Amino acid sequence: MPRKINIKRSVLAADEEFASKIRERLRKEGTLMVNLIGSPGAGKTTLLEATLGEIPFSCAVVEGDVATSRDAERISKTGTPVVQINTQGGCHLEAHLLWKALDEIPTSGLDVLFVENVGNLVCPAEFDLGEDYKVAVCSVPEGPDKPLKYPHLFHEAGAVLLTKVDLIPYIDFDGDLFWGDVKKLNPLASCIEVASLTGKGIDAWTDVLGRWLMEKRR
Amino acid sequence: MKMHELSMVESLIEELLKLQKEHGWERICAIRLRIGAMRQVIPEIMHFAFDITVQGTALEGAKLVLETVPLKKKCLTCKNMWTDGDEALFLCEKCGSSDVELVEGMELEIESLEVE
Repeated sequence: MPRKINIKRSVLAADEEFASKIRERLRKEGTLMVNLIGSPGAGKTTLLEATLGEIPFSCAVVEGDVATSRDAERISKTGTPVVQINTQGGCHLEAHLLWKALDEIPTSGLDVLFVENVGNLVCPAEFDLGEDYKVAVCSVPEGPDKPLKYPHLFHEAGAVLLTKVDLIPYIDFDGDLFWGDVKKLNPLASCIEVASLTGKGIDAWTDVLGRWLMEKRR
Repeated sequence: MKMHELSMVESLIEELLKLQKEHGWERICAIRLRIGAMRQVIPEIMHFAFDITVQGTALEGAKLVLETVPLKKKCLTCKNMWTDGDEALFLCEKCGSSDVELVEGMELEIESLEVE
């Protein structure tokens, strides 16, 4: 006769152990970790290239893609230490993959670790990588309705970055609708408009990163 | 592209087989999960992924039961607590404050098992 056993355990317990290990390691090192999540083509890698050119902190990057090392090659040209993870079909990064990748990045004395997740607004939001903040990266050409369509990500994000704002003159984009929806879902998120190719908004973004880093080390 | 429900199922099965070994259960007959309404889990996909992945394992034949946990919100300004179906709204329905936190609705947990 079957008997009932009460268990209170996360479905993702095994991976969450790795997330905890990552969190603890980076807490000891005083390293800020940011998990960049956005659609394929949102401009995550280009944003990183622009950020790494301006940010006054030591940085490293972990790139997540289904295939190729193209993004890691681009980051490499900035002189920033970078590791590429290929998930070979996985639509999101998981903490156990990131833990292994950290073997290749010296985190002692590192200020900021950027993790560029696989291009996807859905699945990456479900998997804790041990980050301090998730950052939602959404571009003008994607349209203003993404926040309500992907509430989990936009609700949890510490910052929402609207990229490619230099295209606003050419695209019918309702900014009031976009930011209004973000405010409904996440009143406390830092909201920044950027155009990585012109540099617009990069200062505001690096200011947020600086604030987060200072708060972490307090 | 591997759906995230499949990753979740693989993780679930790893946990269950570990628990089964730890406790010496002969069989896990049923698994009850609590899944918050904010989690992006499609029940049909979860069931499909589970049924496919348990084949050939000690969990083959086990029943998966999914319980959805509604969104329960709390206003940190006036302490009002309420449940609603709106994943998008984090403004207090009483005082209009935006200092609202999600108390329930983000769960992804094994609640109970039926074992032999």
